[in-house]
Amino acid sequence: MRTDMQQDRILHTDDLTIGYDSDLISGIGLDVMPGRIVTLIGPNGSGKSTLLKTLTGQLEAHGGCVYLDGRDMSGMNALDKAQNMSILMTSSVRPRMMTCREVVAMGRYPYTGRFGKLKESDEKAVDHALDLTGSREVADRFFDRISDGQRQRVMLARAICQQPRVLILDEPTSYLDIRYRLDILNTIRTIANRDNVAVVMSLHELEPAMRISDTVIAVGEGRILRTGTPQEVFEESFIRRLYGIEDRDISLLGPGPWMEKAADIEAGIETGNVTDGPDTHRTGAKAIMIQGTMSGAGKSMIAAGLCRIFTQDGYSVAPFKSQNMALNSYVTGEGLEMGRAQVMQARCCKREPLVCMNPVLLKPTDDQGSQVIVNGIPLGNMRAAEYFRYKQQLIPEIMAAYEKLSGMADIIVIEGAGSPAEINLKKNDIVNMGLARMTDAPVLLVGDIDRGGVFAQLIGTLDLLEPDERARVKGLIVNKFRGDIGLFEDGVRILEEKGHKPVTGVVPYLDIRLEDEDSLSDRFSVRGKKAFDICVIRFPRISNFTDMDVFGQAPDISVRYVDEPDGVGDPDVIILPGTKNTGGDLEWMRQQGLDDAVISYARAGGVVIGICGGYQMLGMRISDPEGVESGVTSPGLGLLPVETVMAREKTRTLYTGHIPAWKGVLEDMSGMQVTGYEIHNGITTPAGTDPNYTDAEACVYAPDGTGCSSGNVYGTYIHGIFDEEGVAPRLVSLIAAHKGKDIDVSLMRGHFDESEAMYDKLAAHLRECLDMDAIYEMMGIVRS
Amino acid sequence: MIMDRKRVTIVFILMLVCLVLLVWINAVTGSVSIPPGDVISVVLGRSSDEMWTNIIMNIRLPRMIAAIVLGGCLALSGYLLQTFFDNPIVGPFVLGISSGAKLTVALTLIFLLSKGHNIGSFGMIVSAFAGAMMAMGFVLLISSKTRSMSLLVICGIMIGYICSAITDFVVTFADDSNIVNLHNWSMGSLNGINMTQVTIMSVLALVCLACAVCMSKPISAYRLGQAYAASMGVNIRLLKVMLIVISSLLAASVTAFAGPISFVGIAVPHLVGNTVRTSSPAVMIPSCFLGGAVVTLMCDCISRSIFAPTEVSISSVTAVLLVPVVIRMMLGRRKNAD
Repeated sequence: MRTDMQQDRILHTDDLTIGYDSDLISGIGLDVMPGRIVTLIGPNGSGKSTLLKTLTGQLEAHGGCVYLDGRDMSGMNALDKAQNMSILMTSSVRPRMMTCREVVAMGRYPYTGRFGKLKESDEKAVDHALDLTGSREVADRFFDRISDGQRQRVMLARAICQQPRVLILDEPTSYLDIRYRLDILNTIRTIANRDNVAVVMSLHELEPAMRISDTVIAVGEGRILRTGTPQEVFEESFIRRLYGIEDRDISLLGPGPWMEKAADIEAGIETGNVTDGPDTHRTGAKAIMIQGTMSGAGKSMIAAGLCRIFTQDGYSVAPFKSQNMALNSYVTGEGLEMGRAQVMQARCCKREPLVCMNPVLLKPTDDQGSQVIVNGIPLGNMRAAEYFRYKQQLIPEIMAAYEKLSGMADIIVIEGAGSPAEINLKKNDIVNMGLARMTDAPVLLVGDIDRGGVFAQLIGTLDLLEPDERARVKGLIVNKFRGDIGLFEDGVRILEEKGHKPVTGVVPYLDIRLEDEDSLSDRFSVRGKKAFDICVIRFPRISNFTDMDVFGQAPDISVRYVDEPDGVGDPDVIILPGTKNTGGDLEWMRQQGLDDAVISYARAGGVVIGICGGYQMLGMRISDPEGVESGVTSPGLGLLPVETVMAREKTRTLYTGHIPAWKGVLEDMSGMQVTGYEIHNGITTPAGTDPNYTDAEACVYAPDGTGCSSGNVYGTYIHGIFDEEGVAPRLVSLIAAHKGKDIDVSLMRGHFDESEAMYDKLAAHLRECLDMDAIYEMMGIVRS
Repeated sequence: MIMDRKRVTIVFILMLVCLVLLVWINAVTGSVSIPPGDVISVVLGRSSDEMWTNIIMNIRLPRMIAAIVLGGCLALSGYLLQTFFDNPIVGPFVLGISSGAKLTVALTLIFLLSKGHNIGSFGMIVSAFAGAMMAMGFVLLISSKTRSMSLLVICGIMIGYICSAITDFVVTFADDSNIVNLHNWSMGSLNGINMTQVTIMSVLALVCLACAVCMSKPISAYRLGQAYAASMGVNIRLLKVMLIVISSLLAASVTAFAGPISFVGIAVPHLVGNTVRTSSPAVMIPSCFLGGAVVTLMCDCISRSIFAPTEVSISSVTAVLLVPVVIRMMLGRRKNAD
């Protein structure tokens, strides 16, 4: 192994001794391959920078040699060296009156002529480097007038512009905030992966070092202490010894490689790559991508079914969708947010949902903007246009997530988003054909016959694709077919003739309720009341409405989404669901007159349940001192004696607990076990004794601060509170009994129980109508 | 190179217009006023008035060319030194280079004159260059020991004082006539420069300018600092030697011909840089030269006309006009840096 690799190494050292006046470290043998990231870690002053400076030739070696592409570097011509190696150092240079573009263009130095005139190809390289690092917008500004983070990106662009084969970086992310840190690390990974540049850098941040590096070198105690893969080096006791924190209280650091558990998680994921040998991890898994002709064509369902089928066939499977646009999110065990569709698909694969299955999540906040969540962590709100420009910077994130998955699974089922033929928005596509190209996945195109026009959908979409994209489509699927399939044989023939693609299957309509991916859902159109009537306030910025899905399973229950007082009628229960913007939607309720409707309903003894944002609204007041939403303090509906203070800090946790000692109609539910999750800004605490609030006796606070109830008004922060086995039926029965109704709740079951059977049903259904052999063949899997 | 080309072009045109204007004023005014029409006929060689021809062709024209060339040299020298030290407040005068040149010139003058030898322009330049290099050597020695730029500047000023002290010491023991010569010279004056000297200084200046232009690419990279420049393939050692030699030669030739002229070297690169709004050497080298020429010509014009017929030392004028610029620049820079 080693001898093979030696031929490829671009930078290596032979018994190198480094130091300033006296020898610092000796006997250094370093091998760096193209496209690999080597990271030096170690305490301050351990010699990382000295080593890097010796590698770049800024310091002379005290002994031994540095070889660049097999040649002794000390004897190399400066220009020749510059064409092979570029650097990014910690020293801050601030040339005056020099635009960022000029700084980047300096990277062309070794390629330009006597007077440094830039040719067209040089200008292109400059543009490319600016784009890659996201520095385009500062290109014409003076270098000494931009922020440190921007400067560091520009200096990285300069290094990239030099088109080196080896890039040496000394603490490239120090002193930067997480956004610039992310930008820098992403860019580094991109040029390593895509341009096959060898990277040697020092990092103080250990978690990124653990995630980005192919090889980690720990420097300390005057020598190289350990060299190896991240999981070999990041071992708790070793890291603690390296930094001299063996006996220290490390609680302030939070989780990281200095804690055994955190390292395990990482190592577990990475091992897959490493044991296969270093060069296979980019082509590890087979992939299949499901794209649809429109939103709601049934991509998620087909993808979920395929996930289950492959799992049943004995493969290790993982779902992937680069970007979800959804209001409903799920919180993983690590406290990270991701789209619920991939959670459901992960369950089809019988594996825990991981945030890398859905690296980008957009939660619409209003008509034009969304909260952008990358790798489960909110980056902030962006306007659509802003995001459109920003998103290409996410490509490295997406690819990294995908590669992580491909190290864990044999097959990855990729789901597209919307239609691949939105040709006006196609530039920088990262969700459909763009992603298919990046992952080299065959594509199945799904059309929805139920909505009509399936021929136009499928053939039209194919026609609008570029030839190379069209070639990626390996089969067509007609989804949601109602009636006798035999009658559609002609249709299949016509599709195959006109589309020049095989029809992989015609899928009959299956009345199956899976987690909805986004708010484009027909549930809101339900109007008719049934024996047991649930009224959900349809906030303009409603979120996590899947909380109510469990009720929809019972035939006698209607779940109506209401946005005007007249629509409320006389329901059995009113639910105020979650919202992306509590203050805004409360204001909306007032404008609609819904506040009075809810208050008078509650005063008359009706059951009102508020979840998350709805719970916050039920309180006395909502203040927003940090300006998270609107910055104003507004009175709540005054049905619960609590007040909410909005905070920038977001709570995102999984929750397992019990329903507190509720009183009123739902008293019998007290103590039931619930599991769910919390996602909210702000903290809700008991409001002092309020003279307007008379019924303090009946009031109960959840001891863990997750809710409060008073009389028949119940508030909770727990999403999914109704999903636990037995909770929803009990709730319906209690209220029905109170009202003297008899409701059949036997069909209502908790989500997770229901799912397993449903997933198998879905898989069986798809097996019947899809040509699975053809699908395996598309992926290049030979079934014995 | 990315810069505001339009702006650069306009600045160049403006500087040229100023230069032409100042040349005109200089030609017309003086202790003897010559009507504009006659100036033209003298220049065209059609004038019959011998005195006017003499005044213009042998006194005013050489003096103007000297002001233009030496001013350009000073500013260029200042620009190169500022690039080399990456510090906007260094210049030949601040670093003691001019004082060093002055010392050796004084020594040579007194020594040779006392032996009855006459010293030619070439001898002046050689001795001034030697002095400049000596002072520069000291500065470099110090700059290798410290990274603090303020310390460097202080050391430069100290070297200047030592040189002045030695010069004074030598002067004390010199003949009276020598002292008068030396005093006039060390005050800085463009008075009495002849056409031969002008030719020598022009050739020198052109050679240095050409060298500087050829170095504009490495200088451009050097703006990012030594480490980055080296990583991009700049031969740092050669660049440094060239920068020092050329800037010393420029400063030395000015000192040799006109005595130490202060502050042009510091202030002009700064003024020009702020006007063209780029630090690209391809622009800065020619525009510093031109800007230095304009400023020096203006100062010379003022020095000889403000208390006419008595001439004020040109250094006094440059100091009074340019010191405020330098102070403002240092203050402004501190604000940016913090």
